[in-house]
Amino acid sequence: MSPFELAEPSTLAQAVSLLDVENARPLSGGTALMLMMKAGVLRPARLVSLRKLALDEIRVDGDLRIGAMATLRALERSAEARAGWPAITRTLRTLSNVRVRNVATVGGALAHADPHMDLPPLLAALDSRVAIAGPRGERTVPVESLYAGYLENTLARDELITQVTIPRMGKARAAYLKCTTRSADDWPAVGIAVVVDGEDVRIVLGAATDKPVRLTAAERLLKGRAADPKALDEAAEAAAEEASIEGDLHGSAAYKKQLVRVYLKRTVHEARRPIH
Amino acid sequence: MKRAGQSTETPQVGRSVPRLESWLKVTGRAEYVHNLRLPGMLYGKIFRSTLAHGRIKRIDVAAAQAVGGVHRVVTGEDIRKLIPEPYYGPAFHDQPVLALDKVRYVGEPVAVVLAADPHVAEEAAHLIVAEYEELPAVYDEVEAVSSKAIVHDALRPAGTFPDLKHLKGRTNTNVALDFRLRRGDPDGAMGNAARVFEHRFRTQQVMHTPLEPLVSVAESTESSITIHTASQSPSFVRIEIARLLGWPENRVRVRVPFLGGGFGAKLYIKLEALVSVLSLITKRPVKISLTMEEQFFTITKHASTFRIKSAVTKDGRIVARDCEVWWNGGAYADIGPRVTQKSGFTAPGPYDIDNVRIDSYALYTNLPPAGALRGFGIPQLVWAYESHTDMVARELGIDPIEFRRRNLLREGRPQATGTRMKDAALEKVLERVAALMNWNDAFDRGGGTVRRGRGIALGFKACIANTTSLAALNVNADGSCTVYTSCVDMGQASDTAMAQIAAEVLRIPTEAVTVVHSDTDVTPFDMATLGSRSLFHSGNAVKLAAEDALGKINQLRQELHLPADAAIADVFKKKYGMRAGSVMGAGNFIPPYTPPDENGQTDNATPFWMVGATGVEVEVDTETGRVRLTRLVNVADVGAPINPKIVETQLSGASIMQLGFSLFEKMQFDADGQLRNASFAEYKIPGFHDIPAEIVNEAVVAQQSTGPFGGKGVGETGTFGVSPAIANAIHDAVGVRLTSLPMTPEAVFNAISSNAGRE
Repeated sequence: MSPFELAEPSTLAQAVSLLDVENARPLSGGTALMLMMKAGVLRPARLVSLRKLALDEIRVDGDLRIGAMATLRALERSAEARAGWPAITRTLRTLSNVRVRNVATVGGALAHADPHMDLPPLLAALDSRVAIAGPRGERTVPVESLYAGYLENTLARDELITQVTIPRMGKARAAYLKCTTRSADDWPAVGIAVVVDGEDVRIVLGAATDKPVRLTAAERLLKGRAADPKALDEAAEAAAEEASIEGDLHGSAAYKKQLVRVYLKRTVHEARRPIH
Repeated sequence: MKRAGQSTETPQVGRSVPRLESWLKVTGRAEYVHNLRLPGMLYGKIFRSTLAHGRIKRIDVAAAQAVGGVHRVVTGEDIRKLIPEPYYGPAFHDQPVLALDKVRYVGEPVAVVLAADPHVAEEAAHLIVAEYEELPAVYDEVEAVSSKAIVHDALRPAGTFPDLKHLKGRTNTNVALDFRLRRGDPDGAMGNAARVFEHRFRTQQVMHTPLEPLVSVAESTESSITIHTASQSPSFVRIEIARLLGWPENRVRVRVPFLGGGFGAKLYIKLEALVSVLSLITKRPVKISLTMEEQFFTITKHASTFRIKSAVTKDGRIVARDCEVWWNGGAYADIGPRVTQKSGFTAPGPYDIDNVRIDSYALYTNLPPAGALRGFGIPQLVWAYESHTDMVARELGIDPIEFRRRNLLREGRPQATGTRMKDAALEKVLERVAALMNWNDAFDRGGGTVRRGRGIALGFKACIANTTSLAALNVNADGSCTVYTSCVDMGQASDTAMAQIAAEVLRIPTEAVTVVHSDTDVTPFDMATLGSRSLFHSGNAVKLAAEDALGKINQLRQELHLPADAAIADVFKKKYGMRAGSVMGAGNFIPPYTPPDENGQTDNATPFWMVGATGVEVEVDTETGRVRLTRLVNVADVGAPINPKIVETQLSGASIMQLGFSLFEKMQFDADGQLRNASFAEYKIPGFHDIPAEIVNEAVVAQQSTGPFGGKGVGETGTFGVSPAIANAIHDAVGVRLTSLPMTPEAVFNAISSNAGRE
């Protein structure tokens, strides 16, 4: 690992201005960043720690609002989050391991843009929005629009995620299922989030594609027909067809399309199970 | 040192003594080479080849040398000035300390940057530029036999092994060893048999992944050198360094503290020659610590191809077996030729077969070198012969256990080498695995998309011969005891086992025994800690040393007119009038052995047989091909367990390691020999969630008559049957047969799909 400067600003404005140089990187939990630096993939000259920005609050005001620096473990253990958004709690329990969850943050998990991560597809399917601070103030965007490609987000170099807001679920039901093809704790080959909201079904696919993607053709086929086995079969085929999937070390494109078919159906079933 | 509870309970052997070093380990005080820092020490960072096969045209180190803080950059040519023939290896002297003239695999060490700051060395190593003239390369072990691409211009056998001498100077070949065994008339038997079955199996290249990567430190003077190293074979390191330098052995000192796992990765000579030469060139202590990822380019497990053919009578008796095995040794032979032969001769499996042909080939290819990995080739062989045996049984409509029972190699019967089986509890192990699997009971076969199946496999291994262990032992004036052995405790708990054996002889508590770690200036010769040989060989040497010391103490008791059970401390007190003195014992153990003739025949192939069987129950997801083990049963003949708890953890640990090799671990190379998954994000080993909910481990009641207190080795036994047991269970569940490792979900799914297509 090459030497770097570590800045620890105490205001958001300072943090944003410290990031406005070549080769600076924000540091939240650091669980991904440190591995990339050790591997020499990233060689930042400056790390801007977000630790002192007091962005770790989790609160519910009808919607669930999570500060970017809240750890995955804090969200996992939040009783309010579990009561209103149980799919998030369940997803966190199988996200990496407890040592990583103790340190990794929700903002980092969203900004990292590794398509194999579990939270982006789930939060996108839940219609969540992120607040982004930058030199010209704050903007908010849907989680879905955070991603440009593999390890590429749509944030400017001096922009920071400050908060994610997940709307009230009401009568909607959600589930996220993933499938690994090597060890059980491997990055998934396929991760699928499904939200069944009355007639509407929202489906976001992760891991198999270079960024989380909405499967709109499958969504249309399932509109009002999520309980219909024939519609599910059609939607599974449509999902495998519409997602742009390439083979990699997890499996060939053909096999990953098969996993999309199977896990689309299983995730819809899971979302519709009465316990949710 | 705090101990895990003193005990005077006897006997010491057969008791689950808690490991003597556990307190040191959990409090972070155990000594590892990784923690060693010497004054003035330089760190080396290795620059590696990016080409699989090429002639070195130019290595430009100027930019690296110019980096502030870089002490020196060293290439193979610098080493050639110090040592004219800087090639090492246990079987062949084929591996240069740094690449010379040619590079032979992607990742081969080409140059080293030395700096007081390891980060500086690492940065500078990125600035080295090497130019090569590209040569054709070969990667597949079967293609290597006839390939135009030749990895080594001429073969260079080490000369220490008589059966390799005929290969010296041979050119235009990648075959490093062609072992053959002939028994009976296999062709005649095949011609007359009712049924003949032939199958082909493959295994993949994988890595040991010890938690502690390879690490070595050397410090030197004009006339002596000390090497602190994470090595399983300190005695061999000393011999090889002395040979390379042309120095007497007593000027080379090799120290080995604890190892954070070995599994065969740290055998023979790895970084030791490199740090020694670098220390002599710079006159400074030099340390090289590999990263986890660099180990992929250091030593691996052989990929292999195995063609097996059996002739069977109508009533299910195997009358002939023909085995052809190709071992992918990578660019340097390491111990591959020994794997080819010493494991090769068990290729027909633990069955009583009159007519046998074995051809076993060690091949050079342009991949990272392969050597020993927990099983020394046996898991590759058992994978093939136990898959094949199951296929034959099912084809004949005979229950797989009954088929094995009918053909089992029983006590006193000759194995393929002609050596008669002795102290090999094959029958007991087979019957116990059948019983623990409830084989005769009804079995829930699942339904819908989850189908259940079960399978078993049985393997055996001949412990490597011809090898020696020595031990010394000092009984101190207070009755405590110090054992000196070059057996290395790499996590397998050999310290505890050696202490138990010494304590049993001396009738003192195990906790009153300390084991001095390998230091070739202090501890006597031991061939190496490998192949499950140490409990038997080093254990016998320690037992002899303890008996030698006990004899002297008993003599003192007599001379001093003390009763036969007088406390040892009282003997010394009476002898010297105060607490003083000590008694030393020495033990030298070498079991009998007869080298095989040109047909691989010998009346004494091995000092002992290891026997292991595994049974598994699996669930197969028919829509995804994912396989989940719900139950894993390991049964072994380990003789009489010296420490039952340690035997149990060795069996379960070995089986979990083999589980990873069975289901997902695989080094994946592209068409240019580049490793595509040289990271632990992409090369996965088993984690907690991969371990079956239920694991049963059992050592059958047995005795190794020649072992210390009836014991023998166990470190590898749990690996033998795992892969074929899983393949057999998958077949039982969904009717598809996998013949290539690893059995990934995709491979299982594709087999299910093409099976469905055929129906």
